[in-house]
Amino acid sequence: MSFPLLLLVSLIAGLVGAMTGMGGGVVLIPALTFFGMDIKRAIAISIVSVIATSSGSASAYVRDHITNLKVGMFLEMFTILGALAGAGITVSASEQPLYLLFGIVLLASWAALWAERGTPWKPVTHQDDLSRWLELEGSYDDRATGEHVEYRATRAYAGGPLMFGAGMVAGLLGIGAGALKVVIHDLVMGLPPKVSTTTSNLIIGVTALAGTSVYLATGLIDPGLAAPVILGVAAGAFLGTRVLVRLTNETVRRVFLGVLIVLAAEMIVRGFRR
Amino acid sequence: MSEPAGTGSTAARNMDLLVGYVLIVGVLSSLGLLAAGLVWHWYSTGTRLDYDLAGTTVFGLVVTDFRQLAAGAWRPRLLVNLGLVVLLLTPYARVLASMLYFALVERNRKYTAFTTFVLLTLTYSLFLR
Repeated sequence: MSFPLLLLVSLIAGLVGAMTGMGGGVVLIPALTFFGMDIKRAIAISIVSVIATSSGSASAYVRDHITNLKVGMFLEMFTILGALAGAGITVSASEQPLYLLFGIVLLASWAALWAERGTPWKPVTHQDDLSRWLELEGSYDDRATGEHVEYRATRAYAGGPLMFGAGMVAGLLGIGAGALKVVIHDLVMGLPPKVSTTTSNLIIGVTALAGTSVYLATGLIDPGLAAPVILGVAAGAFLGTRVLVRLTNETVRRVFLGVLIVLAAEMIVRGFRR
Repeated sequence: MSEPAGTGSTAARNMDLLVGYVLIVGVLSSLGLLAAGLVWHWYSTGTRLDYDLAGTTVFGLVVTDFRQLAAGAWRPRLLVNLGLVVLLLTPYARVLASMLYFALVERNRKYTAFTTFVLLTLTYSLFLR
């Protein structure tokens, strides 16, 4: 792949990733493999770029006091172990199952975006003993409504082990797996949506680092390819968060639902081809 | 009585700022180094930068980079490598900063233990080869 093409593909992936909230990797990896890159290399490069985009946006959310650091630090213990295991599997796996699995994850994100729950957040009324002992609670100021929201998280005993799985998918496929993490935060632990997305962002950076170190050790990360991809994805993500404010949400959703289904189909077809 | 838990207390707010600044400074300096390295290479050769890092650990890469820095061996590859190293060490520094904060400022034993576990696991992974 030529240098300008690499930069352009990464820029678009970062833009789309930020606009849909799926993260850059989900678009980047199919695009890189489409242009002929080996899927393992694409996964390895993608996971490095995930560190840049997630840490960049996590920084802003943390300084706005929305991210819950304790929830993040507790769940990180599980995701990093998952990421090490996942990356280890990818390194020794053959390519076909990776394409298939990636296609399935794309389809799942498609379904999640398509269904996009409109159910409002309900505060946790009963907090179990473990979650209380872990001090999983907090408050933040909602800029949009001007409200001060206090919340408690629950079911840490289930959230932890499930996050091992989310970390494993992240390490295995070189993506942030933010959608998966947000589902666990929202549905299992009862965190308010803003806290769950921002806390997931924080966790993604550390999880991606664990995965990256495995890929780096195996020599799958070529700095000459990784550097333009990191720059492109970061620039795209930066633009994406700004464009997002101006475009109407419904248009964005329709366009990207279309893109996702095409990418998913492409990956699954490649998974079956010999 | 220890500090009240949650994101509302002063200690927690200070920690938010510390973590936030570690992240943004790390990411921006990494992007700057990567861009500088690529532009320099492109400008001087007009070709794509092409080399691999097979068989290095992250800490191995850090040591090599600093040795080259000390020797004043400036070249595009060194900038790109430094950019990668800074990027990888950003989440690591974030965990280290929060561990120190939980241990020294909040004096929260539970979370000092949790962040220590994360830090040790990451340290182990950075030495993988």
